[in-house]
Amino acid sequence: MTAITSESELETITADHVIDARGAACPGPLLEAKKAMGGVPLGSVLEIWSTDPVTKTDIGAWSAKVGHEFLGYLAADGYDRVFVVRRK
Amino acid sequence: MAAAEKLVFMVTHGPDDPELATIPFVMAAAALASDVEVVLGFQADGVRLVHRGEADTVQAPEFPPLARLMADVRELGGTMLVCSPCIKSRGLAAPDDLIEGAEVVAAGRFIAEITSAPNSLVY
Repeated sequence: MTAITSESELETITADHVIDARGAACPGPLLEAKKAMGGVPLGSVLEIWSTDPVTKTDIGAWSAKVGHEFLGYLAADGYDRVFVVRRK
Repeated sequence: MAAAEKLVFMVTHGPDDPELATIPFVMAAAALASDVEVVLGFQADGVRLVHRGEADTVQAPEFPPLARLMADVRELGGTMLVCSPCIKSRGLAAPDDLIEGAEVVAAGRFIAEITSAPNSLVY
């Protein structure tokens, strides 16, 4: 999954909703993202924190499948920050 | 609105094989999260997973607890169908033996679900 936003651009984003899924095993972060999407308006940015290194590709694939916009991810201290925009 | 896509997962392993018991629920949850209609079909020892309380004992390494995944699948709208002769042969056919939402069916219903789905996976 190709991120469409540069790291420097991602650094400037303030998410509308942050999901702390650190420590959750697959498919936990994906399910947390799915649940959160239903509670935010269209256009909102979700930021998912995950210690599972495959979450960033999983969320990217899921976003493409269901029609959300995967912005990319940033590596943080021991976890990834994954950014998605609700588009449907 | 009905989901445009559908998957059937046939679950044939029970608590004795935690990994193969858990993976179909992982896949089902991910499919439901992806707006795909899901039917889980329990046959052979897989029916033990919907025996009330039995999923609470299943924990495969590096996976979420099965009971948690099962709750997710139910919350997201997955359908759970259970083989009638399989529960009878295991003494699980009393009215309160199965978890809420598990529907006891026979072969014809399984065939109807499988043939209406583009893909079915057997675990």
